[in-house]
Amino acid sequence: MEELVVALGTAALMGACATIAGAAEDLESDFGSQSNANSQVQLAPQVGYVHRIYNKAICGEPVAYGFLCCSAAAVAFALMAAFSINQVLALALGALCASLMYGVYATTAYMGRLTGQKRFGQPIYLDILTTTTPSIIAHAFIASMAIAAFSYLLMTVLHHPFPFPILAMLWGILVGGMGSAIGDVHYGAEREYQNKPFGMGLPAAQSGKIIQKGEAGLRNSIDIAGYCVKHGGPLTGLGLGITVFFDNWREILFTQYFNGWGAMIAGLIIIALIVIFSRIIEVWARKTYGPYKTEA
Amino acid sequence: MEPITLIIILIGITLAGTLVGLGVHFVPVGGAPAAMAQATGIGTGTTMLAAASGFIGLISAGITANDMNTGGQLAQYYPKFGPALTGGTLFSVSGITDNLGAFALVLVAGMVGAMLAMVLLAVVANVLYAFAIGVPLVSAKVKKDPITGDRQDLYVTKGTEGHGTPTVAVVSSLIGGALGGLGGSLIYVALLAGGFTIAAAAFGAIGVFFLNSVLASYNITGTIEGFHDPKFKRWPRAVIACSIATFVVAIWAVAIMYMGA
Repeated sequence: MEELVVALGTAALMGACATIAGAAEDLESDFGSQSNANSQVQLAPQVGYVHRIYNKAICGEPVAYGFLCCSAAAVAFALMAAFSINQVLALALGALCASLMYGVYATTAYMGRLTGQKRFGQPIYLDILTTTTPSIIAHAFIASMAIAAFSYLLMTVLHHPFPFPILAMLWGILVGGMGSAIGDVHYGAEREYQNKPFGMGLPAAQSGKIIQKGEAGLRNSIDIAGYCVKHGGPLTGLGLGITVFFDNWREILFTQYFNGWGAMIAGLIIIALIVIFSRIIEVWARKTYGPYKTEA
Repeated sequence: MEPITLIIILIGITLAGTLVGLGVHFVPVGGAPAAMAQATGIGTGTTMLAAASGFIGLISAGITANDMNTGGQLAQYYPKFGPALTGGTLFSVSGITDNLGAFALVLVAGMVGAMLAMVLLAVVANVLYAFAIGVPLVSAKVKKDPITGDRQDLYVTKGTEGHGTPTVAVVSSLIGGALGGLGGSLIYVALLAGGFTIAAAAFGAIGVFFLNSVLASYNITGTIEGFHDPKFKRWPRAVIACSIATFVVAIWAVAIMYMGA
């Protein structure tokens, strides 16, 4: 019984860590406009929309986060194994190492990408570089620390057989996927194109015509993260938190039933409930918004 | 290790890789256009979407296989699995017939884990589409949703290919997740049974998974909405390509097992 309680408590803690990691990941990618549609920030100067938005998307979020979290966990693992450093301290140092390395990538990516856009009249703003890069490093630290911490819990308390740097890489790829699939919608469809009427998708002809002005002055990446923290970040965190918690919860509680099949049946029931929820949202949106109307 | 066991492992890895390649075609991938509400599907790349969900399947399959192997609560129901795995006879003919239940459980664990991740990737994004962007969830590739029968074309914003992930695409994503999870867990168990360590087997499974999902995304070229999309008809090409590519990789894996044994 005590083992069960410890396992459930760990699953809940892991879910909480995942929620924080998801939210931090999405905001970090919004700061650097690594979020989809990152191509728009790259395209904007080419269609005459010069901007003050940080632009560091070299690779997709899942790959970037897979390796960021894996680096954090690997450094922490090495510190624990070689120097017997306290686990919490080792995880923090590992995440610090990885996020500083990430900051180097962000800086070179920003300079490199914008240098290539000189011919379209896009300047490199050094104040943007010096104010946004620390925010990127800070959010990358939170995300990689949280992912490495719950991967460590999964290995030590829930006895997962994979070494925890591998687990951190797998969960890192999922957190990147979540941030990219969920949070980016708020950034790409809503924040980049707030000039379109509410309730429509973005017509292809509008691509690249991103908003240049902010609430006060010219828009920069810190304004964008300040906006996406309302819906994009929390929902990404919720998505990842639910995935991590439910996946472990069903295995901890229901593996004992039907020779292990109980966990699978519980998983399928959760999936069915989520699909029904999606259908309810679909019907609600169709009824509330109605068919697409062209402007008269 | 007996030659017949090695041949079964070879076939198993090839089949698993092909399943991953096929599964990627079911996943509704919208990429960057989906993140701008300009195309139907989930707003990230094909490879990464399949990988993100497939790896959660791998994590679930890993913990289930380990539970049976190391005397956890599942070991009492499937006592032959652990000795067969450590003895290298799991993929022999007798090993497979003795452990059918255990095999099914590990593979279904992979499928359910991947389906859970995939459905959450699709549905939580739908919450944002419906409440933050304010668009209905529709596809422009079909006139009516093949599952719910809802009219689609009237709700699509002009100049876009749809937005959000409608029910048919959610169901398609579940099939894709299931095939990806099944493939990933089968590769993992096959490598583990061939004498690979747990970490090496996990990395091998990640490698074969990436190989096939990248290959399949070349076939998809950008976005796909699922089994109702016209692009889905291209799947036979991917099956041929993935089976050949995985077969080559599987020969290397089996050669390592043969030399290691």
